[in-house]
Amino acid sequence: MEEKQLVKLAQEGSPQAFEELVTKYQPKVFSMALSFTRNREAADDLAQEIFLKAYLALTRFHGRSEFGTWLYRISMNHIKDFLRKKGRAKEVPLDDVCELAFSDKEQTEKAELERETEVRRALVRRHVESLPEKYRVILTLRDIQGLAYDEISRILRLSPGTVDSRLHRARRMLRLKLAPCFTEEGGVHELSQS
Amino acid sequence: MNCRKAEKLLLRSIDGRLDERAQGLLARHLEACQACRKAEKEYRSMFNLLKDGRDAAPLPRFWERLEPRLREETELVPLLFWERWSLRAIPVFLALVILLGGFLFFAPQAREMSQSTTLLLENRDPLSETRTLFEADKPETRTMMLMFASLDDKAPLRRPTP
Repeated sequence: MEEKQLVKLAQEGSPQAFEELVTKYQPKVFSMALSFTRNREAADDLAQEIFLKAYLALTRFHGRSEFGTWLYRISMNHIKDFLRKKGRAKEVPLDDVCELAFSDKEQTEKAELERETEVRRALVRRHVESLPEKYRVILTLRDIQGLAYDEISRILRLSPGTVDSRLHRARRMLRLKLAPCFTEEGGVHELSQS
Repeated sequence: MNCRKAEKLLLRSIDGRLDERAQGLLARHLEACQACRKAEKEYRSMFNLLKDGRDAAPLPRFWERLEPRLREETELVPLLFWERWSLRAIPVFLALVILLGGFLFFAPQAREMSQSTTLLLENRDPLSETRTLFEADKPETRTMMLMFASLDDKAPLRRPTP
């Protein structure tokens, strides 16, 4: 069944139609929540709340945009509210993480490399969390979630030019924040072994 | 091309949004600039780490957990609606009470109805008794009856004592 039909049926109160929509969009919504919370349980809770919100607001969806875009917009707003309430960005002492991530260069065993990569990934994510909200959001949508530029533009209601320039600034800021953790040679081997 | 411009092109190139001509210009700059080559490596490693973990599997039985919540919320919607509107209704109700109180306080008090008004409202002729008096045969009787009728209506007048 086409998505528009599903949406129409869901608006008329069909739980089966809404279930299909949930099944289709749940992985993306969950993944989006996870990339901001870094906690599966919290991301799952957020995803549930997002679908609950969407269900209650379904009658106000008039089809002016794609259902997915509308849902991602709800997701983004809900996640932003969650993050503001939690104020997580201030929780992590970044210097300690940097130390932890790059102290044991000599370890070569596979398991140790995997652990190291995981720690580095966490380091990058924590630096992302320390970015100002508008940069953090756009960077997450593009570089973690892999959404297209025009989709981001529709979700955040920004012009393509603003998306482009804001994303550029966000990436630059993140790279500068990570600069002390890169090696002299460029940090490729230190950061990207996986 | 300066390094700032090269960085812009570099990021577009990593995104796959750079045309061939600009790609050529960037390649030439990267060949000549060690700092930008280092930046390229840093960006690429940064993006690799950002992309990792994108496909984390959601927790199982998502719909089974969501459905009862949807049902519960749907049942709560009318209550929530009433709750929201009842809060707004309180000031409206108070305003109405104040208006009504003010009206009752300042409105002119209803006067007591006279006997004739009462008779008129009861659809009776207020002049019927008077008419009987005037229709009496003897003028003396008529005068006497009129005198007694006037005494019935009014409080007895006392003559001033000399």
